[in-house]
Amino acid sequence: MTAAPEIIVRPRFRLEPYVQFAQKAMAREATYRFDVFTSVASVLVRVYLLRMVWVALYARNAAPSELPLHAIITYSTVALLMGLVMDIDQTRQLHDKLHSGSIATDFMKPIIVPLYFFADGSGEVLFHAALIVPSLLLALFIVHIDVPNAFVLAAFFVSFFLGYLVGFCINFILNCVAFWTLEIHAVQLIVTWVTDLFGGEIIPLVIFPVFLQKIAFVLPFAAMFSTPLLIYVGVIRPERYAAAIGLQAFWLAVLAGIATLMWRAGAKRVIVQGG
Amino acid sequence: MAIIEAAGLRKVFRSLERRPGIWGAVGALFSRTYVDKVAVDDVSFSLEPGELVGYIGPNGAGKSTTIKMLTGILVPTGGLVRVAGIVPHAQRMMNAANIGVVFGQRSQLYWDLPLRESFELLRSIYDIPRARYLENMRHFAAILDLDRFLATPVRQLSLGERMRGDFAAAMLHDPKIVYLDEPTIGLDVVAKEAIREFIGSVNRNRGTTVILTTHDLADVERLSRRIILIDEGVVIYDGSLERLREEYGTHRTLVVNLAESYPEFAVLGTELESREQNMVRLRFNRRELTAEALIRRVTERYQITDVSIIEPDIESIVRRIYLEGYHEGTVGAPS
Amino acid sequence: MKHLRVMLGVYQQYWRINILTTLEYRENFLLWFGFTFVYHGSAIAALWIVLNRFPSMNGWTFRDMAFLYGLWMVAHALHNTFFSTVGDIPEHIRDGEFDRLLVRPLDTLFQAIATPGQVFPDELILAIITLAAATWYSGVQVDATFLIFVPLIVAGGALIDLAFNLFISTVAFWFVRVDALRWIVIQLEQEFTRYPISIYSRGVRLLLTFVVPFAFMNYFPARYFLHKAHEGAVLPAGAGLLTPVIGIVFVALAYVFWRIGLNRYSGVGH
Repeated sequence: MTAAPEIIVRPRFRLEPYVQFAQKAMAREATYRFDVFTSVASVLVRVYLLRMVWVALYARNAAPSELPLHAIITYSTVALLMGLVMDIDQTRQLHDKLHSGSIATDFMKPIIVPLYFFADGSGEVLFHAALIVPSLLLALFIVHIDVPNAFVLAAFFVSFFLGYLVGFCINFILNCVAFWTLEIHAVQLIVTWVTDLFGGEIIPLVIFPVFLQKIAFVLPFAAMFSTPLLIYVGVIRPERYAAAIGLQAFWLAVLAGIATLMWRAGAKRVIVQGG
Repeated sequence: MAIIEAAGLRKVFRSLERRPGIWGAVGALFSRTYVDKVAVDDVSFSLEPGELVGYIGPNGAGKSTTIKMLTGILVPTGGLVRVAGIVPHAQRMMNAANIGVVFGQRSQLYWDLPLRESFELLRSIYDIPRARYLENMRHFAAILDLDRFLATPVRQLSLGERMRGDFAAAMLHDPKIVYLDEPTIGLDVVAKEAIREFIGSVNRNRGTTVILTTHDLADVERLSRRIILIDEGVVIYDGSLERLREEYGTHRTLVVNLAESYPEFAVLGTELESREQNMVRLRFNRRELTAEALIRRVTERYQITDVSIIEPDIESIVRRIYLEGYHEGTVGAPS
Repeated sequence: MKHLRVMLGVYQQYWRINILTTLEYRENFLLWFGFTFVYHGSAIAALWIVLNRFPSMNGWTFRDMAFLYGLWMVAHALHNTFFSTVGDIPEHIRDGEFDRLLVRPLDTLFQAIATPGQVFPDELILAIITLAAATWYSGVQVDATFLIFVPLIVAGGALIDLAFNLFISTVAFWFVRVDALRWIVIQLEQEFTRYPISIYSRGVRLLLTFVVPFAFMNYFPARYFLHKAHEGAVLPAGAGLLTPVIGIVFVALAYVFWRIGLNRYSGVGH
């Protein structure tokens, strides 16, 4: 009996198939008109809600010095817009395919399967990213958003991109669990809610009581939302950019490593077991 | 006194005309035009109590629309309908108490629980007196051999077992009329026979009126003497199966696999339907030429490797009727 | 009245089958419980975190908000336990199962509600515990008024939920896909009832009071029992006790709309 084969990666790497995957994903997303409508509508509703919440809270309580009212409203609004792109599970296809068994055929194709998921997810994400523009324009009717200088913005986008990758890896790892047990929806949702809280999407981490802050800043979830957002609103100052972004990169490396290991182990399992 | 009366039944579906493209969609915001689709044009028939009728026709002919009007789900656009003296859509619940329905493709049983539980729930829905319920259960369990799987969750039943369960479920409240929609679809031969047997016995012994909608002609042949054939919303035939077959089911197709490629293949008394390399389809009139004689004619001159006969199905009969028109009372139809 | 007797009998059977089905899938209970716990837990945790830093929201403290949340949670859980089946109606219209209800000798809406399935009690249990804890924690006086009215109020809240569930499901008679609409209404309810509505602008407050009366599910009752000052409010202090009435009224309205939809379904065809 021969040993289980290693995953074969074609020596010559071609970009075109992946670009096509991304394009297909974008077209697919565009057909879900209702999803588009609800995504944008829900963002706007929450922009309004959070604004009213912060206004009410700041009216009667001592405001944090580093985060005045206009800053925290900016924070929430930008967070919600980021959510349009970040809250997508780009790798749920992995779970779906494992469920249906079609993952086996993917292994037979001359593509790097994880990269396929990334390309496909990116297509989806790019489409949603395009939604940010109209959402932003509409949101400006509801709130006022601070706009920082170009340098800060640049750092923000770098940090945002890293945060996106961190989120991708986390989703990927979660979906890899599906190699071992197919019922991951509940676990996924639970993890989602926890990351929402500790990621700084709903509430800026600097608002947290100190003991929770210590925990939150140590977890990778903060790298997804909190770091880019705190850069944007200026809580993280330029002199600390290197450290903050460095920490994000560190988490990215760690998570990517874990993701790779899980993928290899899971893929082996599929090949050995025959799908 | 007829138990089911349909006179001039008509159903028209109105839907928004969809115009293509973005400008079409924008235009639709300003002026709305509707498209009328006549599903049932002018259907009339009447059934006496205890009849077993096959209601057949091609897909999209208006069969299910008619049934929906008879069962009270749909309100007719025109015409009259009376079932057991009631206008179904006007008195939906009273009508419902008189009827049973079996949808071949969808079950009314509860997936997660033993079959018995579904029956219990139905007993309370139809308010069946306990004594009658137990008697019926015993009776159906015997005929349909249900005891073996009464305690099995429905999701674990085979299709045949589930169908039997659905039949018992439909009959539990002693309905006067039963509508069967594709009752034998997907079943193996043994199961089909069991179901047909059950339908026949229910009709004979209980006098239940049965309307059977099916694509399987064998069901109809086995069970009913009367066929109502509908096409494009109109009843084009209402009579016995024999007569229909007699008049329009005269053609058959012989499929022959030739051993060699005979370039000039022709057989007297047949029409060449198609030829794909060595596989030939020949159309013949069975009244003029028996299958046996035809096969002899073919093998006299050609070597063959395989042969089979295709009976005319309901679709091809209807197609013929549609193309050639239904000629009432003509025996020995034009061919 | 025979009809009512039959319906009671069927409802009994329905619950019997629910219990049997739920027991059949009991290994899922822990999962569902975990689900519910994390979902509501993280909502309450978020409230706590924010109010820990900003102790007063228009005069409402965390203790007050806990009570607010608890009231909503019980009403919502009641609805999910007894009426969630109404939310499945659009799917049944789509796949043809709805026709099955029309050929049975019972009211269609009743049958839709009494469609058996898995019903886990985790949310209701958790909700009652939460409300009890929050009641004690917020220092609300548990007197006769409280004991008589709170059950009525949460029942009324459940009816408000039902009214909108039914309304959305009825829309499916016209527009087959109602997921987007349902999603928006759910979001409106869940997120806006977290906070006292006095923080919103006048238009939103009126909306949540008279058009989509989610404020009656928890805000007005909480305002009453917590003796909150009603600064510039439209309704008097005792309005919170009217929740059961509001619930009944809105269900009646939704039912009228339902019958219109049902007529359309039979008339225009599908």
